[in-house]
Amino acid sequence: MATITLKNITKSYGQNKVLDNVSLTVEAKERIVIFGPSGCGKTTLLRIIAGFVAPDSGTLFIEDEPVADSGVIIKTPQERNIGMVFQDLALWPHMSVKENIAFGLKAKGVSGAEREERIREMLELVDMSGYEKRKPSQLSGGEQQRVALARALVLEPKILLMDEPLSSLDAKLNIRLRKEILSLQQKLGFTLVYVTHNEDEASDIATRLIRMDFGNSI
Amino acid sequence: MRKRLFLMLVIILFAVIGVLPLLFMLFKSVTADGELNLSVFTEILATKHQWILMYHSLILSSAVALLSTFAGVLLGILFGKTDLPFRRFFTVLFVIPLLIPPYIFAISWSDLLAGLNYESFFGLMGCIMVLFSVFLPVPMLLTIFFLHTVDPRLEEAGLLAASWKEVMTGITLPLLIPAVILSFMLVFILSFGEFSVANFLRYDVYPVESFTLFAAFYDAGPAIAAALPLAGAALLFLLAGELFLRKRSYRPYLFSRYKVLTVKLGPLRRRLAFAIALFGFVIVIVPMIILLVNSGGLENYLEAFRRAGDSMFRSLGFAATTATLMTFFGFFIGYLVHTKALAIWRMADAVTIFLFALPGTVIGIGLISLWNTPWTNIVYGTPLIVIFGLLAKYTALTGKVSAVWLARIPSSMEEAAQAAGAGWFRRIVFIVIPLMWRGLAVAWIVGYIFSLRDTSVTMLVYPPGQDTLPVRIFTLMANGSPELIAALCVIMITITLLPAALLWLILKTTAAKVSLWQR
Repeated sequence: MATITLKNITKSYGQNKVLDNVSLTVEAKERIVIFGPSGCGKTTLLRIIAGFVAPDSGTLFIEDEPVADSGVIIKTPQERNIGMVFQDLALWPHMSVKENIAFGLKAKGVSGAEREERIREMLELVDMSGYEKRKPSQLSGGEQQRVALARALVLEPKILLMDEPLSSLDAKLNIRLRKEILSLQQKLGFTLVYVTHNEDEASDIATRLIRMDFGNSI
Repeated sequence: MRKRLFLMLVIILFAVIGVLPLLFMLFKSVTADGELNLSVFTEILATKHQWILMYHSLILSSAVALLSTFAGVLLGILFGKTDLPFRRFFTVLFVIPLLIPPYIFAISWSDLLAGLNYESFFGLMGCIMVLFSVFLPVPMLLTIFFLHTVDPRLEEAGLLAASWKEVMTGITLPLLIPAVILSFMLVFILSFGEFSVANFLRYDVYPVESFTLFAAFYDAGPAIAAALPLAGAALLFLLAGELFLRKRSYRPYLFSRYKVLTVKLGPLRRRLAFAIALFGFVIVIVPMIILLVNSGGLENYLEAFRRAGDSMFRSLGFAATTATLMTFFGFFIGYLVHTKALAIWRMADAVTIFLFALPGTVIGIGLISLWNTPWTNIVYGTPLIVIFGLLAKYTALTGKVSAVWLARIPSSMEEAAQAAGAGWFRRIVFIVIPLMWRGLAVAWIVGYIFSLRDTSVTMLVYPPGQDTLPVRIFTLMANGSPELIAALCVIMITITLLPAALLWLILKTTAAKVSLWQR
């Protein structure tokens, strides 16, 4: 059973065709890296999978179920069980580390005791125990990265989307976090769709590399 | 060096116009025959009447601030965040009362309710109702502005796990807290200093007392003493707001500008649009219809021109001149705040905001205290004193507009010109000003409208035979016919809204030509 299937996806913004008839199948527990120059449509592809944007034409399946079809979003982002780490991380500045991670659990109705336990486990997993009360502005770049990962993974998504998550970090930290992401993926077994324009990062993480060139996967 | 010197000169000039009169007023009020004397304060603050005035002022301002903030934030979210039909039209509609002298709405409502023999409109309830409709656009516009500072990624990250309802209450609304606090503070301060509505609707508040003591009895000492609680309240609220906002961890996000994620209202949208249209009709359109009906035929308009044509042209002249000077001062103060080119940038920013928060009557008394001498008649006896007063009161607005616009220009624009060898003046004239001409146009129109609608400063300081239209309407209310007053109010509304509409058209038609970085 394929986790993600894109069939003839097309997307334009005004006159600019960002995705042109893109088709792709991602198997369960696969780590695919979408790699290509800036502006080639990588982020748009990720946003279509997440459910923030509807494709103009074509169909998107998640676990063989259609979730978006020709301009219509059939399943909203919160119904897709997908985690995402954004390029700028998008940590909520007014919430503490714990509140950032708890937000999705609360929305899903996870009870207090279970919620606490899952947050604790997740913070342990990303090596951030003891940082619960800190605000994002009080964390370093690497720590923010780990919180964003914990927030995305706490809901136990089957798919994790990562949009150039390490691009703002220095080379040393970038390499260390790549290893941590790989180790987390092996431990938790989610399907990873990772977007980057860094060739080293791409080859380090990918089990399969998709090269995009202005609207088309190659 | 040239930059710092020029900015320093601008600040010194502004301080002479706005701050020196207040310091002089304060000095005069605490001295008698060259010695320290606080009797004016002890006498006036010992009377029960003063505490009643303070109570009235606080009740009125709190009620108006609470109601306007609640309704304004709600409208701001509906107009700035949802797919509500006609939301742009509604935004423009609800802004209209802010652009017009507030007492015009009081006249209109009292005309209607007097016809219905409804007497209790006069007093607190009437003041709350009129000031609510006048200041409602402040929180509405601030909310729309602040919605653009919310990074859509923050909401999208929430939408992966929750519905829009939960994202709005858990993420978007908490990020709008600065808008809510700023709105409450601003409306509170504006209501606290507003005197024309309370004066017309016969509700005793501090600004009315201060104005009456000075204008009617020419009693400077007690007038200054009555004005100082107003200055104190303005300062207190500014400090409280600054302290609160400084603590918020998301303050750095305030100068960001993002595309707003739209919430779909679904089947509710038509019903909501109808309810808002009805609300707008009652609080904005009805008062204007009343004025139009009451103004009668053409003969009343001709009579209005005969009785107040000179004031109208003078108003236009004062407003255009002041708006131009205000744009100049606002641009350079905004530039100073944005670039922090001088160590006193924070003080310069705080002073302009303080002067804006200060009731116009206090600024007026300060100006008269300083300039009313035989040697300075060139200021006191000429329109210069009106221009000085309006500059002191409203430059904060043009300064803020400029600072926000400057924040949108990447610093690399000016740096590239500097690298190419351009001096500071050349960079300002050929790079910065052309990049933000739309911002300067907005600043000018804001300055024009607020100068034109003002009564609080001009009522006190206008030289003999040099009154403005809002002042002439106010004085004619004592003995003019209701038809004449209504016709003058319609003329006032027209000359205020026409330039605003013209500018909106110009900005709209040139919007397509803006460069990439502005989009």
